[in-house]
Amino acid sequence: MVWLLVFLAVAVVIQSRQASAIATSRRLGQLEEQRGALEAEKAALERTIRLASSRRELGARAAQLGLHFPQDSEFTNFRLPAER
Amino acid sequence: MAKPAVRLTLIELVLALGAVLVVGRAAQLQLIDGATWRAEADRVRKETLVLAARRGGIYDRNGVALALTQEYFEVGVAPNELRDRSEDVPAIAAALGMPVSRVAAEVRTRKWIGYRGPFSGFQVRPLRGMHGVHIDGHFARHYPAGSLARGVIGALSADSARGVSGVEVALDSTLTGVPGLAVVLKDRAGRRYASPARNEREPAAGRDVYLTIDAELQEIAERAMDDAITEYQASGGDVVVLDPSTGELLALASRQTVDGTVITNKASFFTDPFQPGSTAKLFTAAALLARHRVDSTDAVFAENGVWEMSVTSRGDTRIIHDAHKSTGDLTLAQAIQVSSNIAMAKFSQRLTALEQFEALRDFGFGSPTGVEYPSESRGGLRPPEKWDGYSKASIAMGYEFLVTPIQLAAAYASIANDGILLTPSLVREVRDPSGRVLYRHQPEPVRRAVPSVVAARLRAYLGSVVAEGGTAEGAQLRDYSLIGKTGTAVRNEGGVYKAGTYTASFAAIFPANDPQLVMIVKVDNPGGVRVYGGQTAAPITKNMLEEALAARTSAIDRRRLSERRPDAPAVGPRSGIAPVDVASHDQIVSLPLPTDSGESKGQSLVPNVAGTTLRRAANALHRRGFRVALRGAGTVLRTTPAAGESERYGTVVTVWAE
Repeated sequence: MVWLLVFLAVAVVIQSRQASAIATSRRLGQLEEQRGALEAEKAALERTIRLASSRRELGARAAQLGLHFPQDSEFTNFRLPAER
Repeated sequence: MAKPAVRLTLIELVLALGAVLVVGRAAQLQLIDGATWRAEADRVRKETLVLAARRGGIYDRNGVALALTQEYFEVGVAPNELRDRSEDVPAIAAALGMPVSRVAAEVRTRKWIGYRGPFSGFQVRPLRGMHGVHIDGHFARHYPAGSLARGVIGALSADSARGVSGVEVALDSTLTGVPGLAVVLKDRAGRRYASPARNEREPAAGRDVYLTIDAELQEIAERAMDDAITEYQASGGDVVVLDPSTGELLALASRQTVDGTVITNKASFFTDPFQPGSTAKLFTAAALLARHRVDSTDAVFAENGVWEMSVTSRGDTRIIHDAHKSTGDLTLAQAIQVSSNIAMAKFSQRLTALEQFEALRDFGFGSPTGVEYPSESRGGLRPPEKWDGYSKASIAMGYEFLVTPIQLAAAYASIANDGILLTPSLVREVRDPSGRVLYRHQPEPVRRAVPSVVAARLRAYLGSVVAEGGTAEGAQLRDYSLIGKTGTAVRNEGGVYKAGTYTASFAAIFPANDPQLVMIVKVDNPGGVRVYGGQTAAPITKNMLEEALAARTSAIDRRRLSERRPDAPAVGPRSGIAPVDVASHDQIVSLPLPTDSGESKGQSLVPNVAGTTLRRAANALHRRGFRVALRGAGTVLRTTPAAGESERYGTVVTVWAE
């Protein structure tokens, strides 16, 4: 009788560990999918930002506004100020 | 009828025989055929999956992503398996960005619908778990910077598994990861069970490649080529920008027009040789100076722009013209300044064919440069025994031999680099997925092409080209010194020189006193009234430099630009911009800043600036002798290279902020 109880207890422990592992594995899979989806979204947004802030895009818009890229004499390279 | 005892014995024997047969069969199945049956059982119950490994990314020198591999998805719909079409169809249409009417019609009429996409993980997320919707993932290349530098990056095969051109194929084994293995259990219907320990081997992602390209400068170069095609009605062109002190290629742009379509993904700067014209005069000048065949006072008569040159002992002649008619005598320096064909043809006769050939070989012509690209042309330089009586003069003028833009850039870089020819390089770093540096480019000297003193003399000659009276005087910058040489060569198509068609070029070194950039700009077949290199390629170079100077690009070290041209006019109000009173800034400190302690010779440790402000981070990095590229705004998250890594002074550290 004792042996039967021991057997049942061990079986229950094994079963619960197995079920828990499968649930964790499933959750892990879902999180990986979620991470993949978010990474894809991030990459798509970065591409949009990169293209929107490209010189091609900004240059065309600047030209429409009557702006131009400065000549070398129209800007000054400042030297780095020290920390206060 | 046998006696009961006999019958019992018989029955026992039959039972025993049966037992022996059962045990025997069991033994046969388990001991003799066991392996076969176990394999069969595994075949039915288990399935081995190959887990694809993510291909390494390709980045610019500052960590800007140019090509990344991401998981994309295809979606299949089995209408019969959908549980509630009225809810599922709009959800599918919304997720995939399709009209509901189209999806509804397909669900009504077809047994299986395949939407190839590719769809991102974000798009298919709402469809996961929906009955009747089957999602299959695969890796595909994604280009965050659009078409930028695509000719250099190259392309992948249709299944995205291997490279077929460009850096993708040159570094295929580096970029390709190691696939993983997983074993899953299946039921009788073939459905897979989730298993917590199914992966036998995790896939290992490929290594990341950091190119020497600077994305900002690359964009400037590509834009310049686009503008050149429009403004000069050109059929194409190339731009190469190179750091002469390291041989690192900073920008490579190519445009070719075929049947009215502009092709942007060709790498003609590596693959398409051309006759350089007058940009090659400098190399014959180098040979003359290195062999002491000319001194600064030697001069030849310029023939007033037309000279009938005798090319054989039989009295055959060739007529040589100068675009810039010169009267009187020209020294070698003046011949370069006004790009005199006649003077160069006369000076070239002071060299033997072998000497001229060897000088060109020393500059790398006729051999591939060795850049990490799969299909590089060696150009064309015939051995001297195949030259005729006109060849020395012709080669001195930049004809009868072929160079690629990359060869020309490397040769000019050697002049900027005090005569040392370096191998041009396209790969700056290779890192493993954890960010550890596995390879870092170091300058690779090939040979000394000319003595240092000759290189300095040649740079002085180049300075005269952009000075008053030179062929590119309009290309000079107002405040910083640019030097260079123009070239205009008649195009040879199918072995025939076509009058009225030209390849215009300009080879530039910037700045003159401490060269940081070598730029080659080539314009194919300019179709307007401006066809010379000084009218087309030189202004393009000037515009590119002005854009680069005003941009955030880290390819130019502004600390080394502190000296303005001695002859530059004083900064004053222009175009409504107020003058800057530098003297009023009492916090200005001199650069380079005093360096912190804890440095090894020529190197410094990247400080940990995570969590600080951009200003503090930039200051700390400058103090260690690094150059800084900023990405984002706010609090600093990390740096590339990472904190703690030992880097050479002058290395660009990219600071990534929130």
